[in-house]
Amino acid sequence: MSATVQPALSQLAQSSRIERLREAMLAEPRIVSLDQARITTRVYQDHADEPVIVRRALALAAALREVPIRITPGELIVGNRTPTARAGVVSPEAGASWIDREIETLPTRSQDKFQVDAETIRSFREDVFPRWRGISLEDVIRARYGAEIDAIGKVVKINQKDHAQGHICPNVERWLAEGPAGLAREAAIRGAAAEGEARDFYRAVEIAMQGVQAFVLRYAELAERLASEHEADRADLAEVARIMRRLAVEPPATFHEAVQATWLLFVVLHTESNASSFSPGRLDLALLPFYEAGIAAGTLTAETALELLECLFLKFNQVVYLRNSHSAKYFAGFPIGFNIAVGGQAADGDVANPLSFLLLQAQKHLGLPQPNLSVRLHDGTGDDLLKEAIRVVARGSGMPQFFNDNAVIPALERVGISRADARNYAIVGCVELTTQGNNLGWSDAAMFNLNKALELTLTGGVDLLTGERIGPDFGDLTRYDTWEELETAFAAMIEHYVSRMIKACEVVERAHMDVLPTAFLSAVIDDCLASGVDVTAGGAKYNLSGIQMIQVASLADSLAALKKLVFEEGLITRERMLGALLADFEGFEVEQALLLNKAPKYGNDIAYVDDLGLKWARFFAEQLAEYTNVRGGRYHTGMYTVSAHVPMGQNVGASTDGRKAGTPLADGGLSPVYGRDMAGPTAVLHSVARLDNELTSNGGLLNLKLFPEFYESETNIDKFAQFLRGFVALEVPHVQFNVVRREDLIAAKADPDRYRSLTIRVAGYTAYFTELAGDLQDEIIARTVQDL
Amino acid sequence: MAESELSANVVDIRRFSTHDGGGIRTTIFLKGCNLECSWCQNPESISGKVEPVFLPSRCIGCGLCLEVPGGAASRVGDRIYVDATRVGADWEALTRVCPTGAITWNARSYTVSELVELAQRDRAFFGTDGGVTLSGGEPLFRPHFAAALLRALKQAGINTAIETALNVRTEFVLTALEWTDHVFADCKLLDVAAHRRHTGSGNERILANLEVLLTGPRRADVTVRTPLIPGVTDGDDNISAIASFLASLYPDVTYELLNYNPLAAAKYDLLPGREFLFPRDANPPMLGRSRLDELKSIAQAAGLRYVL
Repeated sequence: MSATVQPALSQLAQSSRIERLREAMLAEPRIVSLDQARITTRVYQDHADEPVIVRRALALAAALREVPIRITPGELIVGNRTPTARAGVVSPEAGASWIDREIETLPTRSQDKFQVDAETIRSFREDVFPRWRGISLEDVIRARYGAEIDAIGKVVKINQKDHAQGHICPNVERWLAEGPAGLAREAAIRGAAAEGEARDFYRAVEIAMQGVQAFVLRYAELAERLASEHEADRADLAEVARIMRRLAVEPPATFHEAVQATWLLFVVLHTESNASSFSPGRLDLALLPFYEAGIAAGTLTAETALELLECLFLKFNQVVYLRNSHSAKYFAGFPIGFNIAVGGQAADGDVANPLSFLLLQAQKHLGLPQPNLSVRLHDGTGDDLLKEAIRVVARGSGMPQFFNDNAVIPALERVGISRADARNYAIVGCVELTTQGNNLGWSDAAMFNLNKALELTLTGGVDLLTGERIGPDFGDLTRYDTWEELETAFAAMIEHYVSRMIKACEVVERAHMDVLPTAFLSAVIDDCLASGVDVTAGGAKYNLSGIQMIQVASLADSLAALKKLVFEEGLITRERMLGALLADFEGFEVEQALLLNKAPKYGNDIAYVDDLGLKWARFFAEQLAEYTNVRGGRYHTGMYTVSAHVPMGQNVGASTDGRKAGTPLADGGLSPVYGRDMAGPTAVLHSVARLDNELTSNGGLLNLKLFPEFYESETNIDKFAQFLRGFVALEVPHVQFNVVRREDLIAAKADPDRYRSLTIRVAGYTAYFTELAGDLQDEIIARTVQDL
Repeated sequence: MAESELSANVVDIRRFSTHDGGGIRTTIFLKGCNLECSWCQNPESISGKVEPVFLPSRCIGCGLCLEVPGGAASRVGDRIYVDATRVGADWEALTRVCPTGAITWNARSYTVSELVELAQRDRAFFGTDGGVTLSGGEPLFRPHFAAALLRALKQAGINTAIETALNVRTEFVLTALEWTDHVFADCKLLDVAAHRRHTGSGNERILANLEVLLTGPRRADVTVRTPLIPGVTDGDDNISAIASFLASLYPDVTYELLNYNPLAAAKYDLLPGREFLFPRDANPPMLGRSRLDELKSIAQAAGLRYVL
């Protein structure tokens, strides 16, 4: 592709159709939908004697045949799992008890509200909930292991307890090649020769695929009916009808058909499993043959392709995920995780192509929360793609985020993934790394709060927030005469909670196998169809489990301050230090100031502190390496949170980095603690680069904030590009950029400590923003507002 | 002494500088300047010495400094004030007891080799345009150190730039130039009397050095800058005179008008004995876009082709 073609793609305008559809979608209220819950409840009762996997497939097929459907006039890509856009679906087979507890509060809760009417509440309580008590995934896990999961809860948060797993990247190319009809045929053939559980599995796949075929035909029929009613949209509706008739029985041939088929895949995945993070992966590769064929034949233009991709992007915003209130705090903002990976490498070099640019252009136009757009960078990434990605970032949506092939590919190989699969990696959800179409990564198995483990090490197992003994007593700060003794106790504390966490993870994964097998998903994950084993039971080619370390940046700061000021320099005695933590620094302001100001902080390119983070992250990962998960795969580590640094911080008392009790930990996962990175973003990247890449084989997340001037001129975009080249060279796995906004500056004035590292850049001059007097901050605020 | 062991006082090192030359740069602010511009935006760098400084915004009022002999610290109402000019104060002892860093030094000494090592760290971000800029202060105030540092950087393959007021002997400029890829030279005021009034020094040597640079073989590697100080340097006459002077030497020179930086005023609170040009309640805002454009037109009308 010549360099002159790509800029042209980046100039394409958004069609008026897209703006219309976007507004209609955003105007629609988020409601709770019970349609599917009632169908599932009925099917489970009617087929109580069937094996679970078959019952689940029958329930899916029934939902696909019965849930009311809608086509919004003007839509070129159709389909949803609920009749209204952005409805929250209740899945009683996964979790009903929490809905019973929280249903009234859904419209008013602080995070991620949903509207719910009295009839829905009544129907849930009378028609749905009673049938699921004791047999939903949530209740099964609670009965089997609830007390222990609660007991370790302050250190370890076990996820996926009341909803299906998700977090997987289906084999989109295979789906586009086979379609539901092809997969149904394959299941029928294989099932004829199978026995026992494998035969049930194939039967379930066949039932699910037949349901999908019926679902697709319903849309064809609806489109035909609407075509006769809507003069203005008749041509579009007729085309939708034609496409759906075809897709019911054949794989897609045109680009439009392929985009539609792709969306259908995700609608059905979300109908089968009410979960987050089914991710399309490398769509610029999966859809490329269709695009190229259409362009070559003259039946497709770049404009039409862009419009179709934008229709798809709108669709990605129409499926939202209803979480319980606790989980909504950890994963705030309805994240659903349709993650698309753009660019990156293949065996024969860089893959960037016109579709890569069109996907960026769609994001530039829409700037909606979904999809979560990711750009893969490597040494061979072209300047045109890199700079176009920067121009999209400049729009302020925080997307695309950037992944580094130089870091990710070797990291995945080190957890046992083949070179070819690692090279073809994609991202699920936010930043979780995966291979494509063959990997149940179970990437959000649990979060391990390393800072709480350190707290219990310093207090002899006593929770600073409640004064209760909640963990084992391996000593306390006053009893460790040397740094080595403290480290030995910390290691023992981590080992203790890792072993308990693993047992809990095993219980959860087994419960998913028993309660929520997923035949449809399995059909699009290699090698489930070949082996006749469901994906929850280990049928995928790769079977990882990901544990997040929370938060290494805060831990490194705490350990460095403790080591340097207490054990090396003796500026604070051990007794005073423990006293300060117990008092949340009330009356210990000098100690807090020393901890904050006289010890090195992660994020400033200082080996002393960065290496402590590295040492303990490594130790944690080594503990996990001792275990095998119930699907026969490995546990590995990630360093990312969505919003969990806030609730995780609420669980941690005062810490030796000078942090007050209950306040947030470092955000992101790789990011320094707010306001502590004083040496600029290149130093941050150096600190992050000190961590081994394999520590983030499950994903890492680095947030950086830059002033808007950085995106303004081509000269500055060149500098930004050079910064990202440095990011690639340093093998930092991930980075995401936010633009500093007026609100940040106002917040900085009110809370200078958190924003201490915010600097303005003027020729021949620089000063930390918050060290300036207040009235001058107003000047910067005014200037930034002007620039925005 | 080996050149790599030469040392100088450094007031700040800013990685990821984006306004001090091409690409991403590490800017090293050397201490010491022989001008005393009334608007100086880095007044802490005028003196060549490492100076004591008290940052009241960081003080938590713990009072530990009150116990250090010498009487520099005292309680004023409910706050503490530490007098950095107090004769006989043991400032080193004060910095040691202060838990917050409110009592500190405003610079530290670095050797050439330390600075080269620091610069090397960001090599991955420099690309072909980025590198190191020596700023200050006046980087050529310590000409031998500056030359040694610039040479060591060049020998390490790093692009170099200096930001200088050119108020130094021509031979120092030319020596530095051998190891410098780009020179940012200030030309603040063309009128010698006004220059003397506002900077404490005449501009004869500066103009002579500009002539040497802009008629010499490296003139394409020079950017001339005028900081726009309201009521001082931002008049039509001054800009027109500077531009005409530059155009007579080299009409293709890049000429950059630097907008006024009102934020510098805050630094003067921390420097007893130095007074900012404008009182705090009369600190003018930055120049507006239309005035900047007007001044650009004036410079262009005087014969300069490349005005930023």
